[in-house]
Amino acid sequence: MSAETVLELAGVSSGYGEATVVRDVSLSVKNGEIVAMLGKNGMGKSTLLKTVMGYLPVQKGAVTVLQNDMTREPPHRIARRGVAYSPQAEAIFHDLTVRENLVLGMPDPHGFDAEFARICGIFPFMKDRLAQRAGTLSGGEQKMLILARALMARPRLILIDEITEGLQPSVIDRLGQALLDERAKNGVSIFLVEQHIQFALRVADRWAVLKLGEIDDAGDCTAPGAAARIANHLAV
Amino acid sequence: MSGETLTAPMAEALAAPRAQLHRVLRWGLFATALLVVAPFLLDTYTVNILIRALFLAALALTVDILWGYTGVLTFGQSAFFGVGAYACALVFTHYGFGPGWAVFALILGILAAMAVGLLVGWLAFYHGASPLYASIVTLALPIVLTQVVFAGGRYTGSSSGLSGFPTYYWDLEVWFWIAGAFLILVTCLAVLFVRSDMGRVLVAIRENEMRCAYLGIPVSRIKILLMVAMGAIGAAAGFGYAAFTNVVAPELTGFLLGTELLIWVALGGRGTIIGPVLGTIAIDVTSSYLSGSLPFVWKLIIGTAFVLVIVVLPQGLLPELGKALRRLLRRKPAPRPVPTLQVTASKPPGDEAEIPLVVEGVERHFGSLQVLQGIDFRVGRGELLSLVGPNGAGKTTLIRCLADGMEKSGGRVVIFGKDLGRWPPDRCVALGIGRKFQAASIYDTLTVAECLRLARYRLERFSLWQVTPVLQLPEAALRIVKETGLAERLDVEVRHLSHGQKQALDLAMVLALEPSIVLLDEPTAGLTKTERERIGGILTSLVERERLSVLLVEHDLNFVRQISSRVIVMHQGKIVLDGSVAEVVDSALVREIYAGSSHPVTEAGA
Amino acid sequence: MSVLILDIVTTAAILFTVATGLMIILGVMKLINFAHGAFLTIGGYAAYITTLAGWSPWLAIPFAALVGLVLGLVVEIFIVRPLYSRPLDAILATWGLGIIIGQLITIAFGREVQFAEPPVSGAVEFLGLSYSTYRLLLVMVALIVGAGLTGLLYFTRFGLNARAVIMNEDLARGLGIDSTKVRLATFGLGAALASMAGALITPLISVDPNLGLPWLVNSFMLVLTSGVSIPGLLIVSLLLGGAQVVVSTYLSPIIGGLTIVVLAALILRIRPQGIGWGGS
Repeated sequence: MSAETVLELAGVSSGYGEATVVRDVSLSVKNGEIVAMLGKNGMGKSTLLKTVMGYLPVQKGAVTVLQNDMTREPPHRIARRGVAYSPQAEAIFHDLTVRENLVLGMPDPHGFDAEFARICGIFPFMKDRLAQRAGTLSGGEQKMLILARALMARPRLILIDEITEGLQPSVIDRLGQALLDERAKNGVSIFLVEQHIQFALRVADRWAVLKLGEIDDAGDCTAPGAAARIANHLAV
Repeated sequence: MSGETLTAPMAEALAAPRAQLHRVLRWGLFATALLVVAPFLLDTYTVNILIRALFLAALALTVDILWGYTGVLTFGQSAFFGVGAYACALVFTHYGFGPGWAVFALILGILAAMAVGLLVGWLAFYHGASPLYASIVTLALPIVLTQVVFAGGRYTGSSSGLSGFPTYYWDLEVWFWIAGAFLILVTCLAVLFVRSDMGRVLVAIRENEMRCAYLGIPVSRIKILLMVAMGAIGAAAGFGYAAFTNVVAPELTGFLLGTELLIWVALGGRGTIIGPVLGTIAIDVTSSYLSGSLPFVWKLIIGTAFVLVIVVLPQGLLPELGKALRRLLRRKPAPRPVPTLQVTASKPPGDEAEIPLVVEGVERHFGSLQVLQGIDFRVGRGELLSLVGPNGAGKTTLIRCLADGMEKSGGRVVIFGKDLGRWPPDRCVALGIGRKFQAASIYDTLTVAECLRLARYRLERFSLWQVTPVLQLPEAALRIVKETGLAERLDVEVRHLSHGQKQALDLAMVLALEPSIVLLDEPTAGLTKTERERIGGILTSLVERERLSVLLVEHDLNFVRQISSRVIVMHQGKIVLDGSVAEVVDSALVREIYAGSSHPVTEAGA
Repeated sequence: MSVLILDIVTTAAILFTVATGLMIILGVMKLINFAHGAFLTIGGYAAYITTLAGWSPWLAIPFAALVGLVLGLVVEIFIVRPLYSRPLDAILATWGLGIIIGQLITIAFGREVQFAEPPVSGAVEFLGLSYSTYRLLLVMVALIVGAGLTGLLYFTRFGLNARAVIMNEDLARGLGIDSTKVRLATFGLGAALASMAGALITPLISVDPNLGLPWLVNSFMLVLTSGVSIPGLLIVSLLLGGAQVVVSTYLSPIIGGLTIVVLAALILRIRPQGIGWGGS
């Protein structure tokens, strides 16, 4: 596994209109790495992901994806470079079928059957659900659909925004395991935003905390006391 | 407490509206002088076309007020013009002619137009109507009217119209002076109107209609009244046009004339009054001249100019010309009027005997999705209550249900003993609710002073012809304006303010409503540390000195801990904890919720 | 009675065919194309040119579609795209475009009414009556257009992308769909459909520079009440078109001309989203 960087943020500031929500954030995700960004509500985590994905203009700094400067690129170009994005809200097409949602995850739908078979290995429940309207799936199933869609095109980088919100522990475990397995098998890199500390520590290699738009602290997930340190930052 | 002045000598401020009036009168006199002399300098043909153009210019002015200023894209002003014209022709043809009949026909035309305007307004401007629907109704209006005329057979002259009916065959000069005087009068009144307090309300409606509702401004009512008034003016212009030209045809009521008006206004410069008036005259006269030689090429040029203006120069040609001229002459644009600030005596919030806010069994669902459930709580006088909880807990939805009676699906919200029922936001403001949105959604092209004044709509009289020289604000609002430096920037347009100043202005506007209950959605978002502390101080003093009730949604839990007297924790649409700051902060339940526990949380005692 | 039913069905078919171009543009781009009438007129003149050139009248249909497509692509890039965030202004700009097209046509062809050769004419025995062959043919056309569009939307990748953009443009972009290209293609398709419809209706009306205008407002009203769905458009075409036929026959054609506009305004007041379920 080469040590090349898959995602590089250099002094990135961004926000809505004139307001600056994310201030001077620098971090990198290496090939095959899983990095977790934690922080309380309103601290700028979603804004950061939206900026990386090209939905928000970068006020300062640069975003480099897979060695290419993507600072001013629109979302669809970034997606086509092999980046899969799972937004926090409205992440599936409720009125389209499961199959249609999955197909949309693949710019080139040729290998659909093969990839779908692979996905069914990770999420077996999908096998007979292809014709079901995505909006009628349960909450947990919808989140699994999001991840399945992200995995269909074998992305190089996955950006995930608070996927565990509102889920049962068993489902959270499955999602975490799926991410780890995918990284082990296909070397995908993952940048995830979370508030669920246990999940983040279980899945990620490194962590960082975002406070008022700035990186307040960072460290290795395997280091002792990481959980306590993070909990301190996120304390009520 | 009243009488404390802050800025600009009183005398200078009071003099401003007088100066404005004098300026308009001077221009009016100048125009009148031109009017008197013109017929003797121009040839008969030009005078003839000019008379028509003058009446049409008055009609275009009404389109500018509706569209340029208020943002209502109307295709239908031609219908009112037609009503006035046909009133003239029908009465003179079928009933009688003479001074009495003329007055009767004019009044009939105006009243009929006003009735139609009322109907159209009621149909198009209901609460929650989309701007597209309003345009559709104004589109349907001239089409319907044209067909009604067609269906009138010999009575209305059907497709050939009526002509040769008895009318006043005065000299051309006389008609020219009548048309011109009418136009000058209407224009002067219009200029005074759009620069007055009410004129600023129209601009506010155009820029952010929803926010106006939350400032207590009855938007639907204003639009309907405006439509009625503009209909009346349009009908008067139509009457004059018909009386002069001695011909009426269905084209006068039609859709094509309606769209031509929009073209004239767009090219002349929407939202400027003078632009559309001059533009109409220029284009109509030129069209008449060229209609003989190159009719199609001319229309092609106009069409192309129109498209170019819409796409590239939305302000219109005249304002661009004006800007270029100003740059050439190196003159700055006219300064906006700055009122004097004055404190108004604050009345104690609501009835002493009643509880400020009682919420019973409020719930909100979208189809089968339950967003809020079983919300019960009360807020007392002088309480600062913070609503906390993870994303999706329903906090903002709850705020919406408190500020807009139509938002909730069930339950009761009672303010000082009065049930909110299904009242729309502007009525809720009247009952004492003041809501501040998370994003400072203010009006980019209005000045600080104009924005603050908007909030006073319910409490003060709004002039129709001047900018009231004194702006009264309650002490809390005044304090914010002073402390954040807004007092020195009263004539600065909002878009030139910093993010922190915009938030401060937004808060000052909410407090200027003199609410009894203040609802704030993430007031500290994007603020610096100093700005945060200032807001905290203001909120605390509101609660302690003025005994208001404040409800705020916040994520910054340090902020919550510092200033709240009480905290409600929400999770998945329900209230899970309601207690003092200490109780909530130390609760294991809350820690669990914030750590991302997935179990639906049951209510627990602290 | 049977004549009435045939009149209703054929009128509905014609209204449907004319309105589809407007509807897909509104659906995908959330935009009212007020140049729709002008595209109809272009189609009519394409049919006229076909007659002038001596080609088979059947060729008018693809010819008109092609002209409409090319023009539509140009218009989208230069006029519609800059106005994406200003929908009311887009209505005005497309109206202005309609004026430009109308004047260009007048300059090129003159204001007189022109004649275009219809592909079939005469009457045919149907359900015991003699009825215009061409009108019955148009019912077939409407069904083909409806089926074709439905097929495009539901069985092609482009259709899936378009539906995704209709439902949630941001999410679609995040999945690699270039929504700008989707909008461009949609506008081109809508213009092509309008132009083709214009060529199809020439045997029934006169070909002059103002051909499209009366159809514009009616199409506009039908599309809004349809709730932006193909089945919805079929239904409102039948209902409102049928109402128009009934009123024209039994009351007066003049009032009949108003039926669609007035009914639509009332329906939208009660149910602003139209009768369909929008989106797909």
